[in-house]
Amino acid sequence: MALDYFLLVFIASFGVYQILSIHAGLKGLWLFRHQKIQYIFGVLVIIGAYGWFFITKRAAIQIQREVEGPQQLGLFLAAIVSSYIVTVIMSSIIQARGSRREKEPVKGKQHEQGIETLKTTTVLGGVISSLRNEREDKD
Amino acid sequence: MPPLAAWSAWITSFVGKSPPLDYFMELLGSDFFIIVTICLIMLSLWLGHPNPARREHLQRHIMNASVAIGISSLVLIILKTWKFWPRPYELMESAELAVNSLYHTSFDHSFPSNVATVSFAAATGVWFGNRKAGAVLYVLAFLWSFARFYGGSHFVVDLVGGAMIGVVTAFMITKVFMPRIEPLPTWALRLARLLYIA
Repeated sequence: MALDYFLLVFIASFGVYQILSIHAGLKGLWLFRHQKIQYIFGVLVIIGAYGWFFITKRAAIQIQREVEGPQQLGLFLAAIVSSYIVTVIMSSIIQARGSRREKEPVKGKQHEQGIETLKTTTVLGGVISSLRNEREDKD
Repeated sequence: MPPLAAWSAWITSFVGKSPPLDYFMELLGSDFFIIVTICLIMLSLWLGHPNPARREHLQRHIMNASVAIGISSLVLIILKTWKFWPRPYELMESAELAVNSLYHTSFDHSFPSNVATVSFAAATGVWFGNRKAGAVLYVLAFLWSFARFYGGSHFVVDLVGGAMIGVVTAFMITKVFMPRIEPLPTWALRLARLLYIA
């Protein structure tokens, strides 16, 4: 049941990241070029995760006592973080393959910009840009 | 017996009469459906606003809601050391039938309700940052609590008590505790930004 719960949150949050990245304009998390396709993909992933868990695992949920309180919280956090990491890696790879042009360097420090950076580049691009900025500051 | 215990006998007598309603209540009252939905809505609010200033405002309130969930859970642990009264299914035959057909029995005592405490704490914490999202979370919190009442898992008093604990805790965290521990929340946000998660 713990693994099933982890997978539910992992898959559903993967869908959530796709939808919210359209709304927030975080292009660095996009997996598709077309927003409509990405939105439909995100919705289907969430529905699929909920459907799989709450229909096929119904009997197990009804009698479960294994995943409660702190363990549920821990699994939830682990699942959303790993799902975010997977989204970041996938979007970085897809966008690096899709476009090899030099991206505009990110302005400002990362601890001030945060995910705002992802409006213009991927996480990988942001990390590279931050490292370059650090090196230029030292020089 | 707690006050208004007769309401539990009345509501649980409906279980088994309408299978679609029972299935719906089983889904709503499960340990996962509503809480996962609430947390995913909070995750969407955390990252989903296009305006950086507004996003930071929401992130601070999501942080408040999360701290409120944690602190209200601690309050629950303390309160549950007193045994106020047993669960409805330990006292009433209709509630026992209801809980056996919809949910599972629990090890802890009935008052206050974990479900109501945690969900109302989350809803109140979010409500201070975004009224619309907060209202949605209040509806979800109410549905989760009602489903537990319908399934014979809690008395009305357990749910009302839990909701009050959640609301008061979230209020105190938002208005008193978090402003006083500045700059810790700001540092936490800066660290999260450094890691590309805020």
